[in-house]
Amino acid sequence: MASHSHIGKPLPMTDAPGKVTGLGKYADDLTVTGMLYGKILHSVHPHARIRAIDTSKAEALPGVKAVATGKDAPNPYGILPIGHDERVFALDKARYIGDNVAAVAATSAEIAEAALDLIDVDYEPLPAWFDPLESMQATSNWIHEQKPGNVEKEYHHEFGNPEQAFAESAFIREERYYAGEVTHAAMEPHSTLAIWEPDGRLTVHSSTQVPYYLHRTIAEVCEMPMSQIRIIKPLVGGGFGGKSEVIPLEVAAPVLAKKARRPVKITYTREEVFYAHRGRPITIADLKVGLTREGKINAVAARVVQDGGAYCGYGPVTVLYSGALLGALYDIPNVRYDGYRVLTNKPACGAMRGHGTVNVRFAFESTLDQLAHDAGMDPVEIRRRNLLKAPCITVNGLRVTSYGLPECIEKAAERSGWAEKKGKLPYGRGVGIACSHYVSGAANPIIRSNMPHTTVNIKVDRDAAVTLFTGASEIGQGSDTIQAQIVAEVLGVKMERIKLVAADTDLTPVDLGSYSSRVTFMAGNACLEAAKNIRAQVFAAVAKKSGCDPAVLEARDDFIFSTRDPGLRMNFDEAAVAAIDFHGALVATGTYAPPEEARGGKHKGAGVGPSPSYSYSAQVVELSVDTETGQVRVHRIVAAHDCGKALNPLTVEGQIEGSVYMGLGQALQEEMIWNEGRLMNPSLLEYRTPTTLETPEIESIIVESNDPEGPFGAKEAGEGSLAATIPAVANAIYDAVGVRINSLPITPEKILAALREKEKQRGGKVARSNGGRR
Amino acid sequence: MTMPACRVARPKTVEEAVRILADSGPEAMIIAGGTDVVPNLQMKLFTPRVLVDIKPIRALAGITMVAGGALRIGALNTLTEIVDSPLVQSNYPVLVSAVATIAGPLQRNMGTLGGNLCLETRCLWYNQSYFWRKALGGCLKKEGDVCHVAPGGARCWAVWSGDSAPALLTLDAEMEIAGPRGSRRLPLAKFYRNDGIYRVALGRDEMVTAVFLPARTVGRRGLYHKLRIRDSIDYPLAGVAVALEVDRNGVCREARVAVTAVNPAPLLVNEASEWLVGQKYSPELVERVAQAAIRTGKPLTTSASTPVYRRDMLRVFTRRALEEAWKNGRD
Repeated sequence: MASHSHIGKPLPMTDAPGKVTGLGKYADDLTVTGMLYGKILHSVHPHARIRAIDTSKAEALPGVKAVATGKDAPNPYGILPIGHDERVFALDKARYIGDNVAAVAATSAEIAEAALDLIDVDYEPLPAWFDPLESMQATSNWIHEQKPGNVEKEYHHEFGNPEQAFAESAFIREERYYAGEVTHAAMEPHSTLAIWEPDGRLTVHSSTQVPYYLHRTIAEVCEMPMSQIRIIKPLVGGGFGGKSEVIPLEVAAPVLAKKARRPVKITYTREEVFYAHRGRPITIADLKVGLTREGKINAVAARVVQDGGAYCGYGPVTVLYSGALLGALYDIPNVRYDGYRVLTNKPACGAMRGHGTVNVRFAFESTLDQLAHDAGMDPVEIRRRNLLKAPCITVNGLRVTSYGLPECIEKAAERSGWAEKKGKLPYGRGVGIACSHYVSGAANPIIRSNMPHTTVNIKVDRDAAVTLFTGASEIGQGSDTIQAQIVAEVLGVKMERIKLVAADTDLTPVDLGSYSSRVTFMAGNACLEAAKNIRAQVFAAVAKKSGCDPAVLEARDDFIFSTRDPGLRMNFDEAAVAAIDFHGALVATGTYAPPEEARGGKHKGAGVGPSPSYSYSAQVVELSVDTETGQVRVHRIVAAHDCGKALNPLTVEGQIEGSVYMGLGQALQEEMIWNEGRLMNPSLLEYRTPTTLETPEIESIIVESNDPEGPFGAKEAGEGSLAATIPAVANAIYDAVGVRINSLPITPEKILAALREKEKQRGGKVARSNGGRR
Repeated sequence: MTMPACRVARPKTVEEAVRILADSGPEAMIIAGGTDVVPNLQMKLFTPRVLVDIKPIRALAGITMVAGGALRIGALNTLTEIVDSPLVQSNYPVLVSAVATIAGPLQRNMGTLGGNLCLETRCLWYNQSYFWRKALGGCLKKEGDVCHVAPGGARCWAVWSGDSAPALLTLDAEMEIAGPRGSRRLPLAKFYRNDGIYRVALGRDEMVTAVFLPARTVGRRGLYHKLRIRDSIDYPLAGVAVALEVDRNGVCREARVAVTAVNPAPLLVNEASEWLVGQKYSPELVERVAQAAIRTGKPLTTSASTPVYRRDMLRVFTRRALEEAWKNGRD
């Protein structure tokens, strides 16, 4: 077969021109006639009963058109069917500083802000829970009455016989790891414009990764049929999981719009983004790993406590992912997992890039490094000895169809100069390796059903434009581009011919959303199916018109031609018209649902973790440590990622680099700092994502394992690389200066303290290094 | 976050600006580059009735050599202009070293020297939104009566977080200040009051118009070290500026060391010149001065990093800055 015309090509993203010229519209760019500005009143208490709310003074302020409280929208909601514990405005209790208590819609943002100050809330403060380990011991003042002991959910899994395996292990390490709380820090703060239409319908433009779930939730909360609600996702400036469940303003704006009978826009301040949060929880992981004398990982046992904040959100899914993917990267026959999702009086955590896998991967890969040290084995070699033999089913029931990890490890080691560097660099400079993996979409939907996870429609009209109607949500990751590439490839037409209508519930069929790295795999497969159907219809018409067998036809560069008869050649415009004449219309639908075999085991919580396919990563970090200041300078990161097949190498590299960058931020400098439930750094000045100056050269290596079920062999690329970066940094610090930091972020202060501790134990001075400071 | 409602006045001359300040009293506030003022306005830390935009006053910008060989830098010169100025580069390297670390390139393009010298002091408990402070119940500096950094105390410890001031202190800089009674000169060291609330010795009806760098400090070798988490954007968590004159024999003839971001004012380390002048380099001497620096700097829990670490780094950075200035600047 001839090479691809679009697949595997580094094509620029289709939405890039709008973004770089400013012509593209994000939610906050939208204004409509009569639009009001909404502002939300947040709780000043971490935990308080709400005795009464008096909104009369706010309502009397000129320019105020509506004030809403919990009574206006009492129906509970939540992303998980088992976790409907949120209300748009607190009904009885406020559960964190920043919780949503009321909202105002007014003719200007200034008036709306002023009106917030006029709302009198009668609070009765309650004792609050901030520390997850203390909170899970609570005997009173529970955050949710229906969750005694403040434990949202706990899971206990055992596969194989871990006890016996530990007893038979030659080397065992037991360590406690701590990961501070981090947030997505997407460039675009959340924004929602809700338009109460003259005919009584509701149109909502919102910065969301999940229009479908937003659609359902607004229907529930506003007590309207879904048919009367239209959700449109405009350009979204990054999600990373922070927009993958319904965020309070997305319901507050419709509630206000319905009450005011006017359009209402709410855009969060950056501080409010931190309160809406849904980031990666504080995680305390007690990890035990056993190794045989031959360097085989015998068993892993983990007890993981996650500080989930005040609401359920994706919590149970997060804690299940931590367990499900903990043991499935390597061939580990015995696994025990005890996971606890704990409630505290802080903003709710949720899904964040690498959902659930990141903090436990830090723990595991750090421990593996120590075990390699104990066994006198090279860290690369120990990973080689523990590879899965794909295709296979892991001990916890995950089906692995393609496995590029061996190649990732070899390439990362080779390109980083591992063999020449490991243990051989001068004191103060080191290298570290770590691996990770991630799902290509969840095999089971959030709401159990047998519906397809995604559906796309293609329509070709007499203008021969190919319009793809897709519910998939472009959030900056490139989903529009990839889908267009797939359709263009199959139909053999130029990219310019593809028009994309995406994420508009009046026009596009349901897609579950942009989360768990599912879009390329799932929407991609649906596009493939729909496009093949269109192509078959076109070929049938061309064959009929020219009297040939459709099986000899091929399409490329806007032409349909015969592989047998060089004289048979028809341009796509003509062929499309022929097909419409022949069939009456040229339309097709494609769907995707994961196969039954990919949906996992039967144990409680088995639904989370299974995926039709997994991506793999291996990374080597090289860095220097200044032993007088503890400061780390990362010089280079070599990141090899198995994405099955790079449909667009440009966007794959972008995703690898972005993941590495985010991992680096969590590894070294990002942390939400709490004081009695008060977030001390709710700004991008004090919450320090890395700048370009701390970001080293990142060498992305694409590994293609050609997944048998992925579209053109493709699988996940957007999240899997992140988790490897953090332990690779920790392991490189160990290689550089011989101290192991089990707590994230690895701040200069922690390194310095560890160095001094080591110095004290040795009873002498350790060597000094300024870390290659210029 | 919205801006508070206020009138913007755009005077064309210093006299006019001073008159507006005098007429409006405490309700007026000067804005130049706006990089510090605007976020603070959005957080409702300030709610002026009149915002006096001094950018139209052309006389306030210009880097010029004046009679006697001193350098005058206008209050409105941007930080980028200072870094890029050949006059500053060749004569006062410590200033370039410090100013180049301020915030990021975008802020340096907008921010002015006058603004950087009149920065609001910073504290984690103060530089927060209106909502945040309301949830807290305020602090000693604003809307409350408790200092969350040093509870029980009556003094505000909000920290001086400018980078240019310590460098200018090592150059014996003077401020030129305009007021209703004309212009006056004030040594920079006297400009700062080491009080988190009343941070500078500037009347409500006064404004900074220029900075003078004396001829006698031309050519002092020097540099600035800044503790921060990111290599851009961040305010200093601690900073040290060093300026030395060293003769052909390696003997120190003049020395200044100033620390920033560890007190409510940028401060000279007084012992430095006394101990260093007349001496040749030795590790012990430099360590002694570094110890003096951490006696001058008294960091508290006002910022992201702990006081212990910031003190520690002040010592390391002082030692390194002295070593580098002494060794690299050899004539």
